Parts: sequence; C-alpha cells; structure tokens
Amino acid sequence: MAVMNSKKTKVSDEIPTSSMADIAFLLLIFFLVTTTFPKDKGLAVVLPEPGEEAQVSQKNILHLIIQPTGIVDVKRGESQQVQQMRPREIEGLWRQEVTANPNLIAAVKTHPDASYKFMMDVLDALHSANAERISLQILEN
Amino acid sequence: MAIKGGGFEKSSKASDEIPSSSLADIAFLLLIFFMVTTVFQADRDRPIEWPEAEAAEKIDEKQKNIMNIWMERDGRVYINDQEYGMDDVSQVVAPLYAASDRALVISIRGDREVPYLYMDLLQKELVAAGVVRVVFAAQLEQSMQRERR
Repeated sequence: MAVMNSKKTKVSDEIPTSSMADIAFLLLIFFLVTTTFPKDKGLAVVLPEPGEEAQVSQKNILHLIIQPTGIVDVKRGESQQVQQMRPREIEGLWRQEVTANPNLIAAVKTHPDASYKFMMDVLDALHSANAERISLQILEN
Repeated sequence: MAIKGGGFEKSSKASDEIPSSSLADIAFLLLIFFMVTTVFQADRDRPIEWPEAEAAEKIDEKQKNIMNIWMERDGRVYINDQEYGMDDVSQVVAPLYAASDRALVISIRGDREVPYLYMDLLQKELVAAGVVRVVFAAQLEQSMQRERR
C-alpha cells in the first residue's frame, strides 16, 4: 500500500540553519577568550644613569670574568686567587657567597670576543640565584 | 456593529518588525572588515638565534612601551626594520624614550653568537640615551635541555 510509505511526521528533513550564527559566535568568543599572545621573555637589568658611578669597596665585589671559551674566572675582591668555573656552577656559588656577605656585588666582565650567550648563561645563573646587584662590564686589558 | 480595530485596519502586509535574519551577516561583515584592516606592531622578526635562559621572565610592560633592538651575528643593529650604525643608536632612542615619558623598555634581541664587544657598545649607547630599563630577550630554557648540554 502506497499510503504506508508516506511521511507521517512533520519533522523537517533539512539541517536547521537558524542557530548556525549563534554557534559561530559562540566558537568565535570562545577562541577570542582563550587566545593568549606570546609575550616577550627575557632577563631584565637596570642600566646605570649616565655619569652614575658608585665607589664600591673591593671586598664587596665578586669578579666573574667570562673568557671567550665560556669558562668563567672567579675572583673575590682583592685576592689574586682565580677559580675557574662553568657558568651553571655560578648559581650555587652566588648563593654561598651572598649568605656570607649580603652586600656583595657581582661584576660580570666579559671578554670582547666572547659570545653573547656565555654572558647570558652567567646572567641567567645570577638571576636564578636571585642576585639583584649585578654590574655588566667589558673586560679591559 | 463594532468594527474590528476601530476601522483602522492594516492595509499593508509588510511586517512591522526589524528583520533580524540578516543581523548575523552584518555582524560578521563588520568583524571581518575590522580584522582585515587591523595592523599590529610594525617591526618584523629578524633571523637571529635566540640565547636561552632558565630564569627568563615575561616583560611586565605594555606592548607599546616595549622597543626591540635587534642585533645580528655580525653586529648590525636594527630598530623598527631599519638598520642603524652603532653610533646613531643613542640619537634614535633618546627622543623615543623622552616621548614615552621614560616608560620605554628596551628589549635587546641579540643573536647568541654576537661577540660581546658589540653588546657592550650597544649598552653604552643606551646609557648615553638615558635608558634605564633593559631586557635581554631570551627563550625560556627547560631544565632538561640544560642537563643534556
């Protein structure tokens, strides 16, 4: 019987399009809210004001001399004793030294031919050790 | 005999509602228009190899107050897509720094292999320009990578 095959319900056989815009907006707003732009990262330093030069007692200075090979020569104040270190060992050294002398200043002296990355390694180690008084200089002969 | 509607029956069959079916289309059109016409920060990234740092922190400043100074491996300096000589840096930076009410943060984006000589010259230029806040831009280094090196 042909009558049996005819549709009995009035449900539309098309996909409802009226809510499509709502769904699109919902997705749009979701992605707008969850998007985060990559922010620049780096190691912050504060440069001295022009002409600002502070006299610091030698005993409060820890000299970190970065050689072109990336090896760091550590000298304490006036003593001529040189200790050679790798940049990653500086963090532990600084923590030790600063508990002994809270007024300590890290004087990072980089050889002119040394790569920037070696200076960054040392600066990174000092930042990791929460060092605040850092002076960046170039090694003069 | 009561006339329905007091005799003022609607003569036209036009709907008295604002058509809302095209509202979404208009909204999308506006959205796409603004997306296309929006221009983000002008300077393009230069091909450098980033140094890595474990303690790298996000720069806590608005994007418009951050100025990038790029330094390539051979010591060439780029500011806002333009190359400058080392001696000109302080003259370029100083007026911009003053215009920003001393809020400008300089992000030094140096190639990891740059000899430190050039970095020192750049820092001296920035000191001469009166800049105080400087960030050495770096990629965040994971502790695991450090162990392997």
